[in-house]
Amino acid sequence: MRRGAGIGAIKNKNLAQARYKDKGTEIAEDQFSQMTKQMEVFKKNLEDFATKHKDDIRKDPQFRLQFQEMCASIGVDPLASSKGFWAEMLGVGDFYYELGVQIVEVCLATSHRNGGLISIDELRDRVMASRGRNSQDVSLDDLLRAIRKLRILGNGFTVLTAGSMQLVQSVPGELTMDHTNVLQLAQKSGYVSKSQLIKEFKWEEERTRRALEFLTKEGMAWVDDQGGSERLYWIPSLFPDVKSS
Amino acid sequence: MADFEWPWQYKFPPFFTIQPNLETRKKQLEAWCSLVLTYQRHKKSYSLDVTEAQTSPLFHNKAINRKLTLDAIYTILDELKKRGHVEYTDKVRKQCLVMWRTPEEWGKLIYSWVSANGMNNTVCTFYELTEGDATTNEEFHGMEKWLLVRALRTLEAQGKAALMDDGVKFF
Repeated sequence: MRRGAGIGAIKNKNLAQARYKDKGTEIAEDQFSQMTKQMEVFKKNLEDFATKHKDDIRKDPQFRLQFQEMCASIGVDPLASSKGFWAEMLGVGDFYYELGVQIVEVCLATSHRNGGLISIDELRDRVMASRGRNSQDVSLDDLLRAIRKLRILGNGFTVLTAGSMQLVQSVPGELTMDHTNVLQLAQKSGYVSKSQLIKEFKWEEERTRRALEFLTKEGMAWVDDQGGSERLYWIPSLFPDVKSS
Repeated sequence: MADFEWPWQYKFPPFFTIQPNLETRKKQLEAWCSLVLTYQRHKKSYSLDVTEAQTSPLFHNKAINRKLTLDAIYTILDELKKRGHVEYTDKVRKQCLVMWRTPEEWGKLIYSWVSANGMNNTVCTFYELTEGDATTNEEFHGMEKWLLVRALRTLEAQGKAALMDDGVKFF
């Protein structure tokens, strides 16, 4: 026959539970203070690192990329605010805001010829030219980051990927897959034609017509009636000579 | 024309097809107008024969095998006419005057030269103004007489000059 637990046993059990609880709190507190300490050390190290390599971060795009990646992996975004430690310490915030303004300027200045579509390489060349020779080097990664920051202003700025190349669209208006496919095909020679699209993508005539009409309407494509038997559609932003002018 | 700097559009094949999209066409005509005027200015030419122009390098880029049709040329000339830079001299629109500066602009230019050289209240012959040694570095040097007279008339209308037979008095 089993004996039920006596009052003494219950007391003992309660006591043990209370002790466990105390111990638990103690451990948690301990861990917390240790974490805090670790964080402090970490923050200090990161700050030291940033201060030490300030010039590298500002000047060397490769280094800047690595620093950004490092920050991202621990959940720190140096660009989150122009105030705060990072911006003050490094001036990186300013760097990207300045870059953003220059990107907007280049896109506006060239939109009359390219309909608001510019290849990232041309954008980089032009931004570099407008920054002058003695300024910091700008990498494609920097451009993409700055453009991402521009989104805050609305969805006027988008980066499109067409095959191996990236294009920056600075006018509102949604480009569909069809449109980017056309742009991708146009990379080869600067132009496309209806029959080319039909052959390449197996599209029906109507779909081809709609895609080309859209690009023409948006000012991204120019028509050419002297290129042979059918109308050619040229994309100024993919035309090599535009860059040299 | 070796040293003439063509704009990038000149090598862009669709530039030679009038664009159906209004926005794009506006940019295209803008570029054409400025090309025609800078080209004429470079050549120091004050007139244009439409028939001849069809084969001139201005409207025909042999390198890319593109040229403007006659209709397209008229579209551009009409646009220039609207802006006061072109005037047809015959009814059938075969000949036109091309003024890369409007007479008003020329007038201003001449008058500022006159003022800078202290020629106010003096008389100048037309020949002195456009062919004289004193003006060799001025843009209006070598200017044709009809345009000079029109430029001076704009000054006359403002009370800044009085025209005589072959000369002008500046005030």
